[in-house]
Amino acid sequence: MIGIQLAGNLTQGLILGGVYGMATMGLSLIFGVLGVVNVGHGAFIMIGAFTTLLLFTQLGLSPIIAIPVALVIGMALGFFFYYTVIIRLTEAPELASLLATFAIGTLLEESVKFTIGTEFRGYNWDVGKISLHITTLPMSKIYAFVGSILIALLLYLWFSKTRAGTAVRAVMQDRKGAGVCGVNVNWIYALSFAIGIGLTVTSGVLLTMFIPVGINPYMGGAYTLKAFVIAVLGGLASPYGAFFGGLIFGLIENGTYTLFALVPSLEPFAMTRFLSFLILLLILLIKPTGLLRAK
Amino acid sequence: MKEYCLKSAIIFMAVFGLLLTTNALAVDKVVLGHPACLSGKFAKAGSQASWGIKACVKWINEVNGGVKIGGKKVPLVYKPYDCESKKEMVTSLIGRLATIEKVHGIIAAYSSGLTLTGAPVAEKYGIPYLSQGGASNRIFQQGFQYAVQVLSPATLYQAGAVDMLRKADPSAKRMALAFEDSEFARMVLRGAEKHAKELGFKIVFNRTYPKHVNDLTPLLSDLKAAKPEIILGGGHFPDGQLFARQMSDLDINVKALSMIVAVTLPAFREALGAKTEGIVGPAQWEFGVKYSPAAAKKVGVPWFGPTNEEFVKLAKEFSGGKTPDYHAAEAGAAPLVFVKAVELANSVEPDKIRAAFNKMDLMTFFGEFKINPDTGLQTRHSMVVVQWQGGKKVIVWPEEAATGKLYYPMPTFAEKAKGKVAVPR
Repeated sequence: MIGIQLAGNLTQGLILGGVYGMATMGLSLIFGVLGVVNVGHGAFIMIGAFTTLLLFTQLGLSPIIAIPVALVIGMALGFFFYYTVIIRLTEAPELASLLATFAIGTLLEESVKFTIGTEFRGYNWDVGKISLHITTLPMSKIYAFVGSILIALLLYLWFSKTRAGTAVRAVMQDRKGAGVCGVNVNWIYALSFAIGIGLTVTSGVLLTMFIPVGINPYMGGAYTLKAFVIAVLGGLASPYGAFFGGLIFGLIENGTYTLFALVPSLEPFAMTRFLSFLILLLILLIKPTGLLRAK
Repeated sequence: MKEYCLKSAIIFMAVFGLLLTTNALAVDKVVLGHPACLSGKFAKAGSQASWGIKACVKWINEVNGGVKIGGKKVPLVYKPYDCESKKEMVTSLIGRLATIEKVHGIIAAYSSGLTLTGAPVAEKYGIPYLSQGGASNRIFQQGFQYAVQVLSPATLYQAGAVDMLRKADPSAKRMALAFEDSEFARMVLRGAEKHAKELGFKIVFNRTYPKHVNDLTPLLSDLKAAKPEIILGGGHFPDGQLFARQMSDLDINVKALSMIVAVTLPAFREALGAKTEGIVGPAQWEFGVKYSPAAAKKVGVPWFGPTNEEFVKLAKEFSGGKTPDYHAAEAGAAPLVFVKAVELANSVEPDKIRAAFNKMDLMTFFGEFKINPDTGLQTRHSMVVVQWQGGKKVIVWPEEAATGKLYYPMPTFAEKAKGKVAVPR
């Protein structure tokens, strides 16, 4: 019986982990290229969640259609904030970019609060379920997981097979060297920031496909915290590492619940969080570059 | 000359003494402060509370003519400040309300946690402190002298639902408890567990989940394996919404699901649609409850304040047309009982107001009000239980307040998806 519960929770954890990983790739990409830690990360996830909600409830459009829409909105926001704020901070002390991204996040949260309100909202997108022996999976969760893998794969192909992707990798490795070789570093910064924000906003869509309730202007805070843990787990400057870090985080978070529940008088949820952050601490102590980041 | 000075001194002393003993003469307004949760995690409940308070303050000033004190009526002034649903803001705002605004009473912020945080500060300044969204019994076990509870205590939240389900199904045994790990929900859990055991239920699952949780799948998977017949759970709105949604995702079907807070709010239905059919939840108040001047007369207590209909109409003036829920009602009752206490004390002195609260036994649109004189804990107000039936909330318990019958057992999530509604024949 415990085996079935564990297998069920690991399956759920793997799916959630894929979405978590996707939600962290943008954070890692922006840090890897620009060296900017986006503490307003959660606010962009929230924008994606509201995009899905509004398209579904106001226009009756499926969350799958919300994926490209969110990507476009996210990239537009990325370019806007890069050319208005971030461009001035690429050479500034880290504290300046921390404060700026925090301010951007707060601005977005408060804007949504004033225009839409603070209510916790949700939507009902029922596309069936698959009943496995170990657990029941709504198709919307499976779509979210498949969507995450496809987007991660597309990003990988873009990085490895296109000139722009190669230029981004060059800037990540040595921005001065890349500049000397003719790469327009400022454009690569802008493009990377826009793609990073685009990915983050898109992940908001995928997260609501997994959890279609609790959508409100301040929902991003919890995801920001998890994204930082996952990013460190996978290597803060590695988008692929972040994706696999998400998978590992999801498995730990869900899988250990059943195991901790075996210990009498222990609240398993409290322990899973403890374990997540213990792992973070251990990785920072033993392998600060993250588990999956190349040297 | 000497005699003249003596007479003047006596007259001066007499007037001064009179002013001291009847300080009410100097009162030209009564001020009620409020660290309101207008933003942050409790913004939804906090906004409702704000509408309810403003509605009742308007009723007091415009219909009641103000607060009767020292033989005349003076206006009630409401001073809210946004506490952003944060503990540190609550404490600093209560300090500000006490020292700068010189308020005569404070309506606590929403939630048991914030009410408990602010209570020692109100106590320090010796200001009557009205708990309108703080149901936890623990607030009233700390020996605070000025704390007064307007709403039903947390330990009684699920008592009505447990009684109702026992009556509906004497053979039901297996009960699961899953509550948020918060001050308020822990108290609800404790009260529910004790009461359920007394009525012969076997607790087959008993766990909590953290605040701000965004995935309950692991907990619900384990809960499903425990095969309960009845589930009692919840904490606040977001987790309640998540709880019901993920129960549906995992296809967990039980005879009854009773959840605190979330079930009573229209947004619960808006977010989950037909999945809410048959779900029950306790409420401090619901539109349609039969509290009225006639009901007050029947039980032999005085009535004060607007009727249910008047309250809803007034609250809508501040909510932009939105229907007030029980958060608005419990908060709206706070200025009503405060004003009654001030009138009874005929003073704004904190100790006199607090003593007046002890003597009060009255009914408002929110229900009855009577406190334990030693602790300030509410003893007379009673909860109602509502159920979603055909997209509408129906009061199903207690029987004397019910506007409809309980639908039991709850339809399965598969049946709900096919359009089955929980409307009794």
